[in-house]
Amino acid sequence: MTEQQPPVVLVVDDEVQIRRFLRAGLELDGFVVQDAETGADALKSVTLQQPDLVILDLGLPDMDGGDVLERLRSWSTVPLIVLSVRSNEAEKVRLLESGADDYVVKPFGMAELLARAHAAMRRQVRAATGEPVVRAGPLTIDLAARVVTLNGSRVTLTPKEYRLLQLLAQHAGNVVTHQYLLKEVWGSPHMHDTHYLRIFVRKLRQKIEQDPTQPQILLTELGVGYRLANPDGTTRTVAN
Amino acid sequence: MAYQWRSALRADAIMRELRGVAIALLMVAATTVVAWGLIRYLDVRRGSPIYLIPVLLAGWHLGRIPALAAAVAGVLWSGYFFYSPFYTYFVARPAEMINLTLFMIVALVTSHLANSMKQQAELARKRENQMSDLYAFSRQLAAAPTAADIYRAIEEHLASLVQRRVLLFGAGRNPATETEAPQPVQAAIASIQRGAALTATVNDEAGATWLIRRVSSRTPDFGVLAIDLGSMPAVDEIRRRVDDALADAAATLERLDVARALNEAKMRSETELLREALIGSVSHELRTPLAAIMGAATVLRGSPAVAQDERLHSLAGVVRDEAERLNNDIQNLLDATRISRHQIKPQAEWIEPADIVNSALERRRRRLAEHKVALDMDSNLPFIYVDPVLVQQAFVQIVDNAAKYSPGGSTIDISAKRNSHEVVLSVHDHGAGLTADEMAQLGERFFRGHRLAATTSGSGLGLWIAKAFVGANGGRLQATSEGADQGTTVSIFLPYNADAKQPEAAPDD
Repeated sequence: MTEQQPPVVLVVDDEVQIRRFLRAGLELDGFVVQDAETGADALKSVTLQQPDLVILDLGLPDMDGGDVLERLRSWSTVPLIVLSVRSNEAEKVRLLESGADDYVVKPFGMAELLARAHAAMRRQVRAATGEPVVRAGPLTIDLAARVVTLNGSRVTLTPKEYRLLQLLAQHAGNVVTHQYLLKEVWGSPHMHDTHYLRIFVRKLRQKIEQDPTQPQILLTELGVGYRLANPDGTTRTVAN
Repeated sequence: MAYQWRSALRADAIMRELRGVAIALLMVAATTVVAWGLIRYLDVRRGSPIYLIPVLLAGWHLGRIPALAAAVAGVLWSGYFFYSPFYTYFVARPAEMINLTLFMIVALVTSHLANSMKQQAELARKRENQMSDLYAFSRQLAAAPTAADIYRAIEEHLASLVQRRVLLFGAGRNPATETEAPQPVQAAIASIQRGAALTATVNDEAGATWLIRRVSSRTPDFGVLAIDLGSMPAVDEIRRRVDDALADAAATLERLDVARALNEAKMRSETELLREALIGSVSHELRTPLAAIMGAATVLRGSPAVAQDERLHSLAGVVRDEAERLNNDIQNLLDATRISRHQIKPQAEWIEPADIVNSALERRRRRLAEHKVALDMDSNLPFIYVDPVLVQQAFVQIVDNAAKYSPGGSTIDISAKRNSHEVVLSVHDHGAGLTADEMAQLGERFFRGHRLAATTSGSGLGLWIAKAFVGANGGRLQATSEGADQGTTVSIFLPYNADAKQPEAAPDD
C-alpha cells in the first residue's frame, strides 16, 4: 500500500459470527475494520467513511445484496468483494457484471479472501497512480510500452492476444468474465462466442506457460471467466 | 341438429307402424284364404274365431296399432264369410251383430294382452341382461386385486352401458385426462371434486348430456366419473344403473381399503417433497455456521500465536478440513436432491478438457496433499461442448474417492486423453480396488463397499452423483479394477465429433 494510513475495510454481513472472524482476520492483515449489518447501513457507511475496500455478503435482511451492489456502483468505484453462498455461475457472472471486483463462495478461507481483496485494491491503486507494469509469476506486462516479457525475454503476441492479456492484467488477481473479455476484444456481437476465448487462451498459454496443460499464470474459472495469477508472484495456490 | 334427429326418429316410427299394419293386413288376408277354404270345402259356419289368430300374432310381434288394424279387418271379413247375409260385409241379424261386436272386443283385449305380455317379456329379458351384466361386473370387481383393476372395470362396465365415453378423474390417476372432457364438464368435475355437490348433469357444446358424479358418495378420495350420455333420453334410467354399478364398485374399493392406500400415496409424495425441502433449507442453514467455523479456523491458523505452535497450527487445520468436508457432504446432499428432482440443466459451452481437470484438482488440493499426483494430459485435445462445472464436479467426486480409498503416500495417476470419438478423463489409484461384486453395484445410490464401510466414511452418493452429472452431458462413466487391493481406474468419457464441429477459429487481425 502506498498510503501511510492503514486501509479501511467495510464488512457488510448480518451474521455476527462471520463478522467476528472477518474482523479478526482482516485486522491481523493490517486493516481497520468497520461493519454494517444491513444494506442501508452499508450504503450510508460507504458515503461517510469512504472505505478502501468493501466486503459484501449477498444475504442481507433488508435488501438484496445485488441491489446494494448496483446502488453503490452508481457513484463509487471502491474495490468490492462479494461473499456468496450461491455457487451458481450465472449469479457470479451477474454480480461481476454489476461491478463486483471478485467473489468468494462461502465457506472460504481467509487467505483466499485476502488474495482477492488485495488484488482488487491494487487495481484501484494502479488506476490512481498510473503504475504501468503488472507481474504474474515469470510474466511481466508493461501496459504503457505494450511489451510482454517472460523471464526477461520478449513474447511476440498478435494484437488480439495482447488485448486479451492486457484486459486480464488490468484486473490481475481478479476474475474477468467471458462476456467482458469477448465484448472488449471482439465486440458486443460476439459476447457469447466463448469458443473464441478457448482458442485464443490455448494459443496464449502455449506462449507464456511452462506447461500449457497445467497453467500457472492464465487461470480458468469454469463457467465464469479467466484470472491472471496474483500479481505479487504467488501462483494459483493460496496458502493457509 | 337435435331437432332433425328427432323428426327423423318420428318418421322412422311411422314407417315402422305402417309396415306393421301392412303385415297385419297380409296376415288377415292369409287367414281369409284359410277361412274361404273352410267354408268352401268343410262348410264351417262358425269359424269367425280364426280371425283372432292374426290379431294375436300382430299384437305379439307388431304392436298395438297393427293389432287394431288386424282386429278391424278380421271383423269385416268375419261379417263377410260367417254372418248372414253371407258374402257381404253387411250383418243383418241383431244376434249376429252382438256376436260380431263381442268378437271385436275379444280381439281388442287379446291384442292388448298379447302386446303387454310381449312388453313384459322384453322388460324381463332386459332386466335379466342388466342383472347378468351387473353380476359379471361384480365378479370382475371381486377378482380385482388392486384399485387400478377396479377402476378399469368401472370404466369398461360403464362404457359398455352407455356405449359412449366414460372418463375417470382423481383417485391417483393422471390428471391429464381432464383435458379430454369439454369445458363445462371440466368445471362440473372441479366443483364435485371440491365437494360442492355429489352429482351433476351438464350439457356440453355439442349438445351431449354428461352425468358427473363421485365414484363413492361416502369417500371423496375415490375420484369422480364423467359419463357422456349423448342424446340418450332416459337419463334417469341410466342414472339408476350407474348408481347400481357404482354402489358395488365403491363397496369393493372400500373393502380393499383403497382409500387408505390412496391417502398413503398422497402422503408419501408429500413426505418426499417435505424431505427435499428440508434438505434444501437445512443445508442452507448449515452453511452459514460452517462458513464461520471454516473462516475462523483459517484466521486462527494464520494468527501468529497459533502459527508458532505446531500442535495448535495442525489442530486449526483439522477444524478447517473437517468443516470443508462437511460442506462437501452438504453439497452432495443438495446435488442428490437436484438430481432426483430432475433439476440438472447443463449449460454447455466449448471448454478445454485440461481446464476441467485442473480446476477439479485445485478444489481438492488439500485433500490430495498426502498423495503424489501424476498428471498426464495431452496438450492438443479437442475442445468439448459440455457444462464444465458439472463435469468438474463429477471429476472432483472421482478424485475424492481415489484419495479416500488409497493409502497416503501412494500415487494417483490423472490423465486426459482422447480416443477416436471421446475425450477420456481418468483417475487411477493404487488403493482398495473393486471386487467383481462391488463393481456391479458401483454407482448405485447409497452403495458403499462392505469391505471398507467400517473404516472409511462416506454417504455412497459420490459416484452416483458423478454418473448423473456426466450422463447429463452426454458422457459416460466407467470404473474398472483388477480386483481387491489392485487399485481402481475411474474414467469419464465425453464425446466429441472427430470430423467436424470443433469451434470455428476466432478472428485475429
